[in-house]
Amino acid sequence: MPSTEPASEPSSLPGRRRALALLVNSTVAVIGGALAALLGVFAVRPARGSSRDRWVRAGTLSDLTANVPMPRVLAVPREDGWYRARSRETVFLVWNGAREVKVFSATCTHLGCQVLWDAKSKHFKCPCHGGVYSAAGEVLDGPPPRPLDIVEAKIEGADDTILVRV
Amino acid sequence: MTANRGLTDRLIEWFDVRTRHRSARHVLLDEEIPAGTGWIFTLGSVLLALIGVQLLTGAFLTLYYAPTPDHAYESVRFISSTAAGRMVRGIHHFGASFLVVFLVLHLLRVVILGSYKSPRELTWLSGLALLGLVLAFALTGYLLPWDQRAFWATVVTINIARLEPVAGEAIAAIMQGGSTIGALTLTRWYSAHVIFLPTLLVLLVVAHLVLMRLQGSSGPVRPQAGKAFPFYPYQAFRDTVVVTLVLLAVVAFAWRGMPPLEGPADPTDAGYIPRPEWYFLGLFQLLKYFPGRWEVVGAIIIPGLAAAFLALLPWIDRGPERDPRRRPLIMIAVMVGVLAVTVLTTLGWRDRPQTAAPDVWTMREIGGRAIAGYSGCAKCHNETGVADSLETIAFTRGAEWVEGHATDPEMIAPGLREPPAARSEREIAAMVAYVRRITRQPYPGYPKDIETAATVWARYCVGCHVIDGDGGHDGPELSHAGREHDIAKLKEWIVDPEAVDPDADMPAFGDRLSPEQLDAIASFLASRK
Repeated sequence: MPSTEPASEPSSLPGRRRALALLVNSTVAVIGGALAALLGVFAVRPARGSSRDRWVRAGTLSDLTANVPMPRVLAVPREDGWYRARSRETVFLVWNGAREVKVFSATCTHLGCQVLWDAKSKHFKCPCHGGVYSAAGEVLDGPPPRPLDIVEAKIEGADDTILVRV
Repeated sequence: MTANRGLTDRLIEWFDVRTRHRSARHVLLDEEIPAGTGWIFTLGSVLLALIGVQLLTGAFLTLYYAPTPDHAYESVRFISSTAAGRMVRGIHHFGASFLVVFLVLHLLRVVILGSYKSPRELTWLSGLALLGLVLAFALTGYLLPWDQRAFWATVVTINIARLEPVAGEAIAAIMQGGSTIGALTLTRWYSAHVIFLPTLLVLLVVAHLVLMRLQGSSGPVRPQAGKAFPFYPYQAFRDTVVVTLVLLAVVAFAWRGMPPLEGPADPTDAGYIPRPEWYFLGLFQLLKYFPGRWEVVGAIIIPGLAAAFLALLPWIDRGPERDPRRRPLIMIAVMVGVLAVTVLTTLGWRDRPQTAAPDVWTMREIGGRAIAGYSGCAKCHNETGVADSLETIAFTRGAEWVEGHATDPEMIAPGLREPPAARSEREIAAMVAYVRRITRQPYPGYPKDIETAATVWARYCVGCHVIDGDGGHDGPELSHAGREHDIAKLKEWIVDPEAVDPDADMPAFGDRLSPEQLDAIASFLASRK
């Protein structure tokens, strides 16, 4: 880069001037680069909240009737950075009469509406776009692209507590 | 290579035709510096660099910071939870201290070398305004983490503003925003810190620099042989060396020490003793010498006179002489000022109250643990539960919130299917004390009989009796109950006070305590010698 002629210089050679300029420029570049790197990392990689799956109590077997889906609203803790919120999630518990419970998410796989259990037809029906699922969660009719999502569940303890992983 | 070079040159040329950046560069960098200007004249550049770093780190901190009492503290904790966040916050925190230090050094340099003299009076005044502005930054920034320190230091700051004659109440009301120090205070201090003050700062820095360039660098106190030289790269080299060293020092501080973050702000904790940031310790100390109605002298009048003296300095010291050896009165004034600030700051530093919380758990806290245990807290607050376990909870709420939560969980966490039964006021106070303790210190484990005694203590005795400074004052203090009474006597008394002394005010506890509980509390009290 051609430099403008300075008014005057102390007893210096062009070589010294060049060396000093190089030192100043490179130091400024290093400081700027380090700062930019630090701030860049800080900006693009926020800390991850310790959001982990939890087993949440969803009732006991004695609450259920065999093969009749029972809706349960669960309060699920969610961490969004520093913000802790509790979202509500509806699941259907289906007990097979033995020691096994199948848990379906009530969220329709089409566009996320909440499906309802229609006891008369024994189908899950979505009120939004007419999706129909069987009692086993399979798509029978309408636009849903896949069966109802299955939520991991287990039965524990003497009182047959149903735990759901959310 | 030559083709590349040609292209670069052509590109630079293209831009220069349109932006005249070469002449801008000439104006910015080729300033003539008087011969003999040395290392001591790098302090202004250090300040410019530090201000730049503060503006940058501050801007990035706003990516995550939330200026509400509910979330400010948690968001700052969140920032500190990554290495990069700790570093950015550390640089911003310690950078502020360095800024104050170098402001003072720069000011001393200007005073000692007489650089404020005609025609540089306005440069001097703009510099003083910048000093005030930086202190305003320090004050407003201090509140933002919304921890105990921040909250209580702000209480003091606003109360000092209240002392101001005539307009004090009005100024305090403006600073406070709402009826108490709370949400409205936090948002207005935040706005001041990130919008209004930075705008003013940038304008004033530009004004300061333009004035400095118009009048030229003041240089050595008397003209020296030799020619003036261009700022770049000669003085710029000195600036770069000093700036690099200072920034490395800031980074070292940020690397070594986390900026402090105490417990969340708790307006009900009257026992907290607030401390200002170290550079306000001198003023803080000054206040202590003017108690009562004289407080205004230490808080407003003395600092005001000092500021007025500085502002009027170019008109007090009018002669053209800049050599410090020939301005003895001014130098004496400088030394007195420096000595006073140093002594006051040192005294303020040493006069630290013993606030360190003792490591021993109080009976109330131990009892609170047991009460939380049988109150069903662990139903949700456990490893697999809906909420974090009490031991690992990131406890960021104030005491009031915990109290509300323990009193009526339904209100705080709607949707709970089995809200715990309501508890008595004292049991809740004990649980709050326990939760606040457990976040600072893991449970050390106490013998079963102490735990039982603590539960009784926290549920009943603490209402009227004090042990080790904690408890009510309707009954006598029991810190040394074992000196006067043995276990049998204590038992008799607790079971039915009126049987021992017909005038006793204390209710009988015989039918409220199980035999084990009675044994535990009596032997605990008897052990208090």
